Amino acid sequence: MKKVFPILVILALFASGILVGCAPAAEQGTLQFNANGEDFVRQGFVSKDGWAITFDHVYITLADVTAYQSDPPYDPHAGGEVQSKVEVGLDGVHTVDLAEGNEDAPPILVGEVTDVLVGHYNAISWKMARASSDPASDYCLVVVGTAEKDGQTVNFTIKVEPEYTYTCGEYVGDERKGLLQKDGTADLEMTFHFDHIFGDAETPLDDALNVGAPGFEPFAGVAEGGMLDVDMAGLQANLSGGDYQMLVDILPTLGHVGEGHCHCETH
Amino acid sequence: MKWKLILPFALLFSLGLTMTAFAHGARIEYTISMAVEILATYDTGEPMAGGQVTVYAPDDPSIPWLTGVCDEEGRFAFTPDTSKPGTWDVQVRQSGHGDMVHIPIGEDMAVSGGTGHTTLQIVLMGACIAWGFVGTALFFSRKPALSLPKGGPDAHS
Repeated sequence: MKKVFPILVILALFASGILVGCAPAAEQGTLQFNANGEDFVRQGFVSKDGWAITFDHVYITLADVTAYQSDPPYDPHAGGEVQSKVEVGLDGVHTVDLAEGNEDAPPILVGEVTDVLVGHYNAISWKMARASSDPASDYCLVVVGTAEKDGQTVNFTIKVEPEYTYTCGEYVGDERKGLLQKDGTADLEMTFHFDHIFGDAETPLDDALNVGAPGFEPFAGVAEGGMLDVDMAGLQANLSGGDYQMLVDILPTLGHVGEGHCHCETH
Repeated sequence: MKWKLILPFALLFSLGLTMTAFAHGARIEYTISMAVEILATYDTGEPMAGGQVTVYAPDDPSIPWLTGVCDEEGRFAFTPDTSKPGTWDVQVRQSGHGDMVHIPIGEDMAVSGGTGHTTLQIVLMGACIAWGFVGTALFFSRKPALSLPKGGPDAHS
């Protein structure tokens, strides 16, 4: 028996080695996170009240960006936590300029995570957080641009300090996103609809989009000498109560996944 | 004799029935299938009339299985292929707004990004290892064979 024991041990180790060696390697790929202000930001547009708006910079700061393989699929209408066994987080706080590039520029790459499990990343959450450094220090959103109407020009800088956490289901758009295959690359998109703030002249005025949008006229009304540099505190002090409340109500709807809506919590 | 009389009448009777059936031919067949009807509306309750519909089957979530358009009431119906059980995803878009609904069809399809072994595989592997140990132990613990005279058992004196 003394001779048998070492042989058994060797056999056990050999068997374990075979099992470990034959176990399938985890299939992995790369997941990219993009931010998109859409053509509204890249090309400019006419607000519901006739102001032609162009954007020089739209600085947005994103934190706690997380992708999920949610099961069941996340329902933003119901809200709540995402149920998921696989999550991928993008480390760090990222300030990006949604207006970067020309009129046909692609969405802005916020970051990517390599060696993540394959599968369908069908939900995403992120926080619009206050930046800790320039060019958007102390604000989660800084919108810099020019608005023109009937010979008037307003150079504006609108700064938003409240933070918002958006939790969204699957991207809704021309293509399906988040389907990651072995050794492949998939992308997810955080989309921001600025027509929700200013309205869109190409959409009927009685459309829900325009009914809920403050437009640009309230901002133009508080500009001085064609200049407006204001944050939410300044807007609260200077806008009418109704216009300010409309802005407060619409900001949580800024974040989307393509055309899909998100659940939002204001901090 | 009786059969000789009855047989022509029976033949005529049967032909008559057949001719009657063909005279006003109509035929209706039916199959029972499960149709899915969706109703797409905006948050205001207004129907997404003309909304673009894209249906994805569970076996190929990247390629649309069906595309179509909502009617004026925002309704769209389709019959899923029940040989493809799992979650069918239906997306409706219009004028920059859209949503996606997830419809379970048939038995739940197990989709996992994990790479572990199934329970059956684990049990089988465990059994194989145990049998290997037992067999090896039996081999080495067997009694030594009796010593044979030189020349072997078949040697003749």
